[in-house]
Amino acid sequence: MDNSVSLIDRMRIERVVWALDQRLYDLPRRSRIATRREVRQNLLTAAHDVGTTEALRHLGNSRTLAAEYRSAEFGDQARPSWMAAAVFLLTGQLVLTSLLSEAAQAFGDGITAASPHATGTFTWHGIPYLQDAVTYTVANGERTSAGGAWTPLAWIIWIAATVAIGRLWRVVPIRRRSQPATATN
Amino acid sequence: MSTHDPQLLKGVLSLLLLQLLSERESYGYEVVQRLHEIGLVDVFEGTVYPALTRLEREGRVTARLATSNAGPARKYYRPTEAGYDALSSGTASWRALAAMVDSVLHRPIPTEPIKGS
Repeated sequence: MDNSVSLIDRMRIERVVWALDQRLYDLPRRSRIATRREVRQNLLTAAHDVGTTEALRHLGNSRTLAAEYRSAEFGDQARPSWMAAAVFLLTGQLVLTSLLSEAAQAFGDGITAASPHATGTFTWHGIPYLQDAVTYTVANGERTSAGGAWTPLAWIIWIAATVAIGRLWRVVPIRRRSQPATATN
Repeated sequence: MSTHDPQLLKGVLSLLLLQLLSERESYGYEVVQRLHEIGLVDVFEGTVYPALTRLEREGRVTARLATSNAGPARKYYRPTEAGYDALSSGTASWRALAAMVDSVLHRPIPTEPIKGS
């Protein structure tokens, strides 16, 4: 049976292909591209044969399919997600830095709002456990600040959360398995 | 209704794929169609495509791209030397196991098990 594949059908196929691709972000780039091309080509052939709806149904859930492809590429052992870790590493730092800066900025704005021509030194003790104290030196309403860095605890939380989100502890058994066994007598 | 137990098939799918590809090189969707032709109508694309990728990663099949009239180039698979070796040894193992299992399952099913002492 030769079913025609309309533009809408092609878009439905593309949506599935790219949804699958998004779930294959841990694969090497070449494998991802090859998988995308192959799945697209097979889906188009199947769509001509049995119709797009049937073709997509037979392909199954993109999450399950991606898991199968990852398992085919890397084997069945649990793997870390370097991409998830990298994304959190960057966004986590941006969000926390932004939050702490905004909090310190609000304190500084409060000083000049209360007294537009204030002069003196003002200290804000920061967000407890996460931020060092911030000292504002104000001269006739003009202010400069020092401090407000992350505390060691904030750094530890950030790194621990990165390890947890990327499941990076899984690197250890993979490395151990990949090392050649040493013969002992 | 399912025609086979998916767990049973999982162990021998790579053997089936190697055998089919040794008979005729095929692209992914064509392999699925050929499996349907032999009666495995519950085996879908989502199972076969990653299995082919796995065989390729293991070096048991090799692939070549061939232009197609119906769209993008098709990826045709065929067994490598290692694939033929795996097919021979896998077939021998399967036959030995199937014969053993078959000899047990051919016994009549008793109405009640013998009591243990």
